[in-house]
Amino acid sequence: MTTASADWGSASEIDDLAGAVAIAGVGEADHTQASGRTAHAIAAQAVERALADAGLAPRDVDGILFSGGIGDAFDARAFHAHFGTSHELWESPRGGGMVWAATAPATVAEALRSGKLRHVLNVFSVSWATQRPQMVGGPGQFHAEERYKASLEVPFGWFPQPVYFATIARRHMIEFGTQPEQLGAIAVTCRRHANLHPGAVMREKKLSLADYLARPMLVDPLRVEDCCLISDGGGAYLMTTPERARDLRRPVVLVAGVGEGRSATGLYWAQQREFTSTPQVFSAPAAFAMADVTPRDVDVLALYDPFTIVALMQIEDMGFCKKGEGGAFVEGDALAFDGGRLPYNTHGGLLSHAYVLGISHVIEIVRQLRGEAAAQVRDAEIAVYGGYTGHLASTLVLRRA
Amino acid sequence: MKAADFPLPDTEWEGTRGFWEAAAREQLAIPRCAACARFQWYPRERCRACGESELPWTVVSGHGTLFSWAVVRRALVPAFADKLPYVTGLVALAEDAAVRVVTNLVDCAPEALRAELPVRVVFRPLVFPNVTRRVIAPMFTPIA
Repeated sequence: MTTASADWGSASEIDDLAGAVAIAGVGEADHTQASGRTAHAIAAQAVERALADAGLAPRDVDGILFSGGIGDAFDARAFHAHFGTSHELWESPRGGGMVWAATAPATVAEALRSGKLRHVLNVFSVSWATQRPQMVGGPGQFHAEERYKASLEVPFGWFPQPVYFATIARRHMIEFGTQPEQLGAIAVTCRRHANLHPGAVMREKKLSLADYLARPMLVDPLRVEDCCLISDGGGAYLMTTPERARDLRRPVVLVAGVGEGRSATGLYWAQQREFTSTPQVFSAPAAFAMADVTPRDVDVLALYDPFTIVALMQIEDMGFCKKGEGGAFVEGDALAFDGGRLPYNTHGGLLSHAYVLGISHVIEIVRQLRGEAAAQVRDAEIAVYGGYTGHLASTLVLRRA
Repeated sequence: MKAADFPLPDTEWEGTRGFWEAAAREQLAIPRCAACARFQWYPRERCRACGESELPWTVVSGHGTLFSWAVVRRALVPAFADKLPYVTGLVALAEDAAVRVVTNLVDCAPEALRAELPVRVVFRPLVFPNVTRRVIAPMFTPIA
């Protein structure tokens, strides 16, 4: 990444967390295909499990973050309604999944350091598989309603997301010679990891590279296997100070760095000058600098992976390899938890674990650092989550205490 | 956008009215800064380069190169089901390759497409089942 080509986006200013935040509890709801559950019920189950994991009671929670951009969020009112509590509960819509699964610790760092807050939950859930028949609330709706997209993209069928990312994947192939087998390696590795994970939607379904290559195109050059699931599910993690975390029951996982980057062209991917890049170009260096680590130090990587090509671009943009060399980097078993050069999405990711928009990625890397993951990376010490949401990317660096 | 007309554009909306008015005349028009002459795409209220607010819709040659494309082979949106497979993608304009027009590639087998293929604009109606309104739209075809 040269300075001359970096003016298509920027990094957000984020104060150094300086060791203020630890993650002391994690919980996942059941991840399923259409289940008839509401997003509130899913979130409540995840929160109950996160509190049980941390050994805390509902009344111990004095802050809650959720995603303000997605309807039916589990906010303070929903928390009290579920648990029958009524204590003071700070809330913020600047949490949940996607990029905010990484930035939530930065949002509450000062409040935890100052003692204003003691135990803060970050919660995210969706019931998009259940809602799918109505085609409401899902990932395509917002885009269909954005006016420039509705006028200049949708009429030509450049919509919804699989079409954008097939176009981006094609350009990556044009510029760098990226091969279908290389995108396939990402999908196959995620599936193998999901086959090992008790909570994965695709636990029982195998996928070999030969299977992948034999599958028909959905939006050429992408197959269904290059695309994320649509799921019901959710998760929650509990943040506190490292001091308090040491008094709780689980091994302490420290938040070492947070970064956020943005593209100047927003959600108009068609006009993003660096068409085959993500704002991880801006986000990852900031997070790695805050954590005082380099990509070489990372033992486990989890990336927001709506499509294989998005994972590939982030691997490049975060500095795990040079731009354009991601295809060769991920080939074969390079991303496998057991011996790969960069163990990646060890729960199966959005492609094969569940489409719960990144919250389970963070939970998975916490479990890796505790040494309790299903597909455990040996002696994992540094783990990273890369979030991606259209015009934004974020980076979360966690460290085993 | 009138939901009943989905996925047709709202040709009256101020933000892109100049684009659709030009298309109805079988011309391709892009906003161009009156001060610094740079094209602005997508339309913006002020020039990204110099801040000028006068950005008249300016007719361009309609020539360009194929930047990238996708071949939609399965229906993701019911309105497009009867067009499968169709090719949608981005054409970089001859006047300024940074302007990428989202379009359909027509009169060409998907297998014949390649990067940087020279293309020219053609004007075709957007036709969807159960939508009576018709809108003329700029599409592109390889230059023979």
